[in-house]
Amino acid sequence: MTLRRILPLSFFRWCEEGSLGGLIQHSRWSFAIIETIHIMALAVLLGALLIIDLHILGCAMRQQHACEVVKQFGPWSWISLGFMVLTGIPMYLSEAVRLGNSPPFFYKMLFLFAAVGLNLRTFKTATKPLSDRSSAADKLTASLSLVCWVAVALAGRAIAFLSK
Amino acid sequence: MHLVDFFTWLNNLPFSVTLRQDEWPFPIIESFHILGLGLSVGIIMWVDLRLIGVSLRRQPVSQVVSQLEPWAIVGFGVMIASGFLLFIAEPLKCYLTVAFRFKVVMLILAASNIRYFHTNVYSNVSEWDDAEEIPWQAKMVGCFSMILWFGIIIAGRWTAYL
Repeated sequence: MTLRRILPLSFFRWCEEGSLGGLIQHSRWSFAIIETIHIMALAVLLGALLIIDLHILGCAMRQQHACEVVKQFGPWSWISLGFMVLTGIPMYLSEAVRLGNSPPFFYKMLFLFAAVGLNLRTFKTATKPLSDRSSAADKLTASLSLVCWVAVALAGRAIAFLSK
Repeated sequence: MHLVDFFTWLNNLPFSVTLRQDEWPFPIIESFHILGLGLSVGIIMWVDLRLIGVSLRRQPVSQVVSQLEPWAIVGFGVMIASGFLLFIAEPLKCYLTVAFRFKVVMLILAASNIRYFHTNVYSNVSEWDDAEEIPWQAKMVGCFSMILWFGIIIAGRWTAYL
């Protein structure tokens, strides 16, 4: 399954032909710098999410309530996700046609949406009042979101690998 | 024997050749190395930010350290294991790449920073655990740690691409 099965080729051509896509395409340095920021943001994002999910699973920050942990680390997960999207878009634009034809890229996006959705759920239920101990459903959601993030990273790596 | 001969010898070992040439092992190991960033740097940065004094201020330092450090240790274990394998897959390229040499130097400095923290700074943490004023040595350790780990990430990315 690829994005090309959903959207027309003209859309991906339009993405690449824009000035941002062209700029990144022709400058190895800008792609490198943008990708480096993407990876640093990934470290922050995964770290913050791991702390929240580990707390829900009962393995970290045990002296605090779930809502405190979410309040401390939740915003950082959104900020770092924002940086990942901000850096992801130019990288996408620079090779939109190739990514349109890439199955791993499709699955990366799919798992990304699933992971974000699961995390929104996790954060919401964790900030319910009187929820000191997480229910089994919360733990399942937390675990599933971690699995989805792993899938996002694996699919992301597979993009470069499978288009040799 | 020059160092380059040693790394060439390593490079020609069957295990190294296999890791390098087989399709799947390298990308999978590399993916775990990148994912491990979250469990290592992504977690230890909060200890560093607490030491610097800009985050998690309501919790005593010892609580932040005891809650997060064990997980960061697991994360760094993943990084060391996957990193070692990635190095063994292309020892000669790593040796010849300037970015990788920078990475190794920074790794050694980061390890020294951790050691210094535990022997000289954390040992008397009960005196400043929830103090308003954090000892400058603790702030310094936190700063060095942040700069070094993010520098290591940057150098690591350049190693892959140079």
